[in-house]
Amino acid sequence: MTDNDARVIITNNPNVQQITSIDFAHSSEKLFAQILDYYGIQWEYEPHTFPLEWDDDGNIIEAFSPDFYLPQQDLYVELTTMRPQLITRKNRKLRRLQEIYPQVNIKLFKRGDLRTLMVKYGLDQEAGLITGSEAQKREI
Amino acid sequence: MGVITISRQLGSQGNDVAQEIASRLNYPVVCRELINQAAIRAGVPEVALATIDDLGLFGLHPSPEARKAYHHAVQVLMEEFSADGDVIIVGRAGQVILRNHPGVLHVKVIAPASLRACRIANQQGISLEAAGAQINASDRSRHDYLRRFYHVRWDDPELYDLIINTARLNPGTAACLICQALEDFGC
Repeated sequence: MTDNDARVIITNNPNVQQITSIDFAHSSEKLFAQILDYYGIQWEYEPHTFPLEWDDDGNIIEAFSPDFYLPQQDLYVELTTMRPQLITRKNRKLRRLQEIYPQVNIKLFKRGDLRTLMVKYGLDQEAGLITGSEAQKREI
Repeated sequence: MGVITISRQLGSQGNDVAQEIASRLNYPVVCRELINQAAIRAGVPEVALATIDDLGLFGLHPSPEARKAYHHAVQVLMEEFSADGDVIIVGRAGQVILRNHPGVLHVKVIAPASLRACRIANQQGISLEAAGAQINASDRSRHDYLRRFYHVRWDDPELYDLIINTARLNPGTAACLICQALEDFGC
């Protein structure tokens, strides 16, 4: 394994995706995508996998796929629950990722009570009905 | 070389006015890319999200250092856009950053809150109550942004050359008035 090999990023899906066509792993990820659509922010869901650890034969034994990539901001986003144990584990992965891929910008978002705010602003009922490109035409 | 800054309230049709001007003058409209470019240039991309997030849904609180770097980059970028000329700059405190530039026309687009709520409710297919909540949060966010980072009041009329109420004027008429004012500026 050379240094260059370590910087190879596995691309799962380079295309910008839409909420309706995606099987989100967690409901909070769908809510987050709805917020991004509301603000007209382009996003991709788990588009890249970053290898983090290799065995002696060069096989990948640990990898990390951030939940979202925001191309306009050049920023990866990883969502996490408020459980301290999980936050600690994800922080470790993020640190490792930034050691190997220092050019990658990533932000850990702690899942708050998104749904309450979204209902207050009328976003939870309608955001799933619109697509990202339609949302980008809105006045914000 | 004409430069117009547009400050607008949510639901005031300010973006429609900007697009109308753009189609008349063939000027580009600069808004979101200013935020993104500044954040990337300053090396603080998460500040772009915090800035875009009028409703506070992301719960982001960038550090003062990150904010400072971002605002410096916004100022530099805006000066660059202004120097190039023939551009419409929407938001980002253009009326403050470029206030001492004699050739820059500063416009604010407003409308009554109740009308703005109706527009947002119709546009998004949501209740009036939810639309009103969006407007209150957005107004508060934009007011706080100007006060906190530029020490001015968003509703201070002295910041603007022209304030247009779209309650009875459509975006086309508003754009016509703005183009006339720009022409009178000698641009």
